[in-house]
Amino acid sequence: MADQGDRVFCHACGGVWLLDTGEDGHDNSQTCPHCESDFTEIIEIPPESPPPEPTAEPHLPSVNPWADHNPWAQEESTRPQTSGWMESGSPGYSHRSYRSPDGRFTFSSTTIGGGYSSRQDAQPNPMLPFMMQSIDTLFQGLTGTHDIHQTQRGPGMNVHPYPHAAGMREPDVMHDPFQAEGEHARRQEGQFPRDTNGPQDMTAPLQSLADLLDAFQGITGAQRGTARNAAENPFAMLSALMRNNDAVYSQEELDRVISQLIDHTQQGTAPPPASDTAIQSLPKKKMTRQMMGSDGKAECSICMDPVELDTEVTVLPCTHWFHFDCIKAWLSQHNTCPHCRRSIDLPGV
Amino acid sequence: MGSQKRIAKELSELVESPPEGIIVELADEANLYKWKVFMEGPEGSPYQGGKFLVNLTLPTEYPFKPPTVSFGTKIYHPNVTNDEKGSMCLGMLRADEWKPSSKIAAVLQFARQLLQEPMPDDAIEGRIAEQYKNDRKRYDEIARDWTRKWAVSE
Repeated sequence: MADQGDRVFCHACGGVWLLDTGEDGHDNSQTCPHCESDFTEIIEIPPESPPPEPTAEPHLPSVNPWADHNPWAQEESTRPQTSGWMESGSPGYSHRSYRSPDGRFTFSSTTIGGGYSSRQDAQPNPMLPFMMQSIDTLFQGLTGTHDIHQTQRGPGMNVHPYPHAAGMREPDVMHDPFQAEGEHARRQEGQFPRDTNGPQDMTAPLQSLADLLDAFQGITGAQRGTARNAAENPFAMLSALMRNNDAVYSQEELDRVISQLIDHTQQGTAPPPASDTAIQSLPKKKMTRQMMGSDGKAECSICMDPVELDTEVTVLPCTHWFHFDCIKAWLSQHNTCPHCRRSIDLPGV
Repeated sequence: MGSQKRIAKELSELVESPPEGIIVELADEANLYKWKVFMEGPEGSPYQGGKFLVNLTLPTEYPFKPPTVSFGTKIYHPNVTNDEKGSMCLGMLRADEWKPSSKIAAVLQFARQLLQEPMPDDAIEGRIAEQYKNDRKRYDEIARDWTRKWAVSE
């Protein structure tokens, strides 16, 4: 099969192409056909595994309408081979890769179906919006499956406690030349207890979700025609946030989280709060005539209420005074005078 | 809440004796925390003749947290973001520089002063700041043009 040959990845332009195995032994070089760079590398395509038996197929809860949906179904029927898609397949299995016309990005996918057709031609191109909409149900499905296995696992059943873990993710595994190794490594973690005599509890669901988001990130990054750049890709941030249990599903939510982060960093340079004892030990005194303005009026500059003669106020070392409750509220955030910014920890003037 | 009392007081002071070129009203009578401010372009600036809508939002922690100021009218200015948000960056409104004794009137006057005299070294739109510094004529031209286009109602 033609696609069984090695693929070559160009580090200079990011292009991927099929290595010409050269039936007649001619030009077999790995020079990039797009940018003519020599900086290329043969990428290993993981060996194909036989399609799993239908009975071994993980049973996903029906809440996930996209569980067996093949997102490439449309493309398969509408895209001509010449548009840059390379595909291969045996029943129930297909591997595709796509290279953009300018060679700036590539992506590929491996799809394993249970030997049955999952075409749903009636669906419109289901990619991004539907993905986003169904993330919720996907997550429910994933965590639900986990729970089922959690409860089903008896004390003695520690041979292969998570048969679903491997199969579940397969339908949408993304093979990325940049990340392939890392992802595989990560997948291994947490899937099976290393010590079969003392299996640890799993933290699978969250890890799966994060992995899942990584996959989405790959799809959408490629779809938008952008190079994979984690710093610029909002989905990269999204999946990073996901790891902290701080899920966001929309651009607005993301904006909100980001402005929160900005607020936090801004506060980092603001003066620190004053200690409670420092606040309590500030001297209090009754308003005197000298403290009133020349017009005989005065107001607390925090609440802006007028302060009458003989009212008790709290005086800072800088001699500025306020209502105790008002200055307490400020000092418990910042230890400086709201008026002149002088620290209350400095000796008086 | 103490903050509401202070805000109401500041609002009535601003309505009774408005600072030059500044008209203040509540965006929604039931909400003290969102203000609509109409700011006249200062005389002698390329914004002269324009009337700019400025949205002022007060946090519930006011006066312990600063208000935020954004231009609802498009404006060509080094210190106002050139996007749909129109955020204005005022040093005194930064969390670490804000002090509760600053009044909204002072914030608004400072904002109007900034129309008169942009602060290119503290700019948020670097390109406009460069132009302001190096090609004042062109900056004046565009700012005047934008004012005519967006800030003058017939």
